[in-house]
Amino acid sequence: MIEITNLVKRYGDKKAVNGISFTVQKGEVLGFLGPNGAGKSTTMNIITGYLSSTSGTVKVNGHDILEEPEEAKKCIGYLPELPPLYLDMTVLEYLNFMCDLKKVPRAGRKEMLAKILSMVRIVDVADRLVGNLSKGYKQRVGIAQALIGDPEILILDEPTVGLDPNQILEIRKLIRNLAKDHTIILSSHILSEVQAVCDRVVIINHGKVAAIDTITDLSKKLSGSSKLLLSFKGPVKEVRNALQALPGITGINERISDSDIHEIDITISNEKGSDVRTSIFYAMSKGGWPILEFRSLDPTLEEVFLSITSA
Amino acid sequence: MFAVYKREFFSYFRSPVGYIALALFSFLSGLLFINQFGSGAVSISSEIISLRSFFVVIIPVITMGLFAEDKKRGTEILFYTNPLSLFDVVLGKFLAALSLLGVMFLNVIVHMIITAVNKGVVDIGTWGSVIVYFFLAMLFISIGIFASALTDSQIISAILSFIIILIIQLISTISTLAASSVSSFLSSKMFSMDAEKVSKAVEKVSNGIKWLDPFSKTQDFRYGIFSVAPLVFCLSGALVFLYLTYRVLEKKRWAQN
Repeated sequence: MIEITNLVKRYGDKKAVNGISFTVQKGEVLGFLGPNGAGKSTTMNIITGYLSSTSGTVKVNGHDILEEPEEAKKCIGYLPELPPLYLDMTVLEYLNFMCDLKKVPRAGRKEMLAKILSMVRIVDVADRLVGNLSKGYKQRVGIAQALIGDPEILILDEPTVGLDPNQILEIRKLIRNLAKDHTIILSSHILSEVQAVCDRVVIINHGKVAAIDTITDLSKKLSGSSKLLLSFKGPVKEVRNALQALPGITGINERISDSDIHEIDITISNEKGSDVRTSIFYAMSKGGWPILEFRSLDPTLEEVFLSITSA
Repeated sequence: MFAVYKREFFSYFRSPVGYIALALFSFLSGLLFINQFGSGAVSISSEIISLRSFFVVIIPVITMGLFAEDKKRGTEILFYTNPLSLFDVVLGKFLAALSLLGVMFLNVIVHMIITAVNKGVVDIGTWGSVIVYFFLAMLFISIGIFASALTDSQIISAILSFIIILIIQLISTISTLAASSVSSFLSSKMFSMDAEKVSKAVEKVSNGIKWLDPFSKTQDFRYGIFSVAPLVFCLSGALVFLYLTYRVLEKKRWAQN
């Protein structure tokens, strides 16, 4: 669907984007992560045709963005970092103007607009001036704008920035809904957001791709093996002996020890077909040591992100 | 192109700019007309020609926001990421400003009707002045649009187009000044040229500068003497500035700094 090959954008001596390549499959939601200044927005601006790359190609649905810009741009709905809104128009006027810009045929336009308005929930502000809307509503009008003309691909640059927690949840829900029949590239530095909606992530740093993978694979790759956290009441030495006897457990580390409540890290090998958790449970219950907390310690995207971008 | 045109034209009336420009123009043209009407000898041509001298204020005001505002608000990204060509955008904005000027000109049309009804003179020369008015307007609007594309500040854009239009309006004065300074420079002891040679050189300089003057080129139109060359001059000048505007916008995409 989108094919990016060896993208380079040079600003003076500095390369803002330095040889980025990746592809996005149809129907996929791709998270685009990176610290500020990593080149996220520049890359998105190049994909949408706002900027030209110094070298490298972008193909959207088989159309090169430089050679067949009109065809390529027709497939893309773009929400830039700063939503491109005309503050002196009402929401409806603005969306109609966008229909004109995107050459949406007049027939069926009204139905399409009604659908979009209700989808992003701005029906009640449709006749108000964009300039008088709150930030959350403006952001939604920005998303509505990207949806006009029913493009197959949506490119959203930090869609939830500056919104309150309720609005963030709503927008995320909206994105998940859109993901059903759109291909989406979503940039963000809010990791939980990416974790919540994306199938795959591309992490970029200093203009280069630092990692491309699904979120679960990424965290597994990083830790090498999985870890479990177990907190219990009982004698730590005996527990350690009992657990070490179980197959599949490769290491035990003590984290915190109170007088009689202990927390330990259990490192397990990632062999398929064996679930150590059951045998741990039975071993603990056999010894009569109550389990207080028991959870998997897969690194969160935060940890993955930090370890990749600080390396 | 039509989408951009429609938006820009109506946006004049969503802010005070369009109304202020309209009010100012109605006031000035009304004042000129009433003066003539009171004295009993109305010449619409001279009213139009007097109105032309207000281009230097009116055109910077109506063109200053055309691109500068888009840049400041971030809406210019729409022109790059939607399926339309940048030249269509430039043309749409140009026609919007020209249309606003056309709406303002309705005042003068009313004056023409009043004059004609009162058995005054509305002849071919009057229409000649109207034609010149719009061709000059095209030239100056394109200059204003160019200035607007250079910056994201409306004030700087207005000042820039004000200066360029002022210089064009003062070309005949400038040519006289240049001629006299060239003459005094060449007649100084340093060169010791004879008077004939000096006057020839002076004439060349002043003619060269005057060639750029769209006002003197079109001055015969008010007497009903039409020619194509001055119109082509204005139109190609307008196209040059519109093309430069297009290049400025296009450059942004390729800029490497």
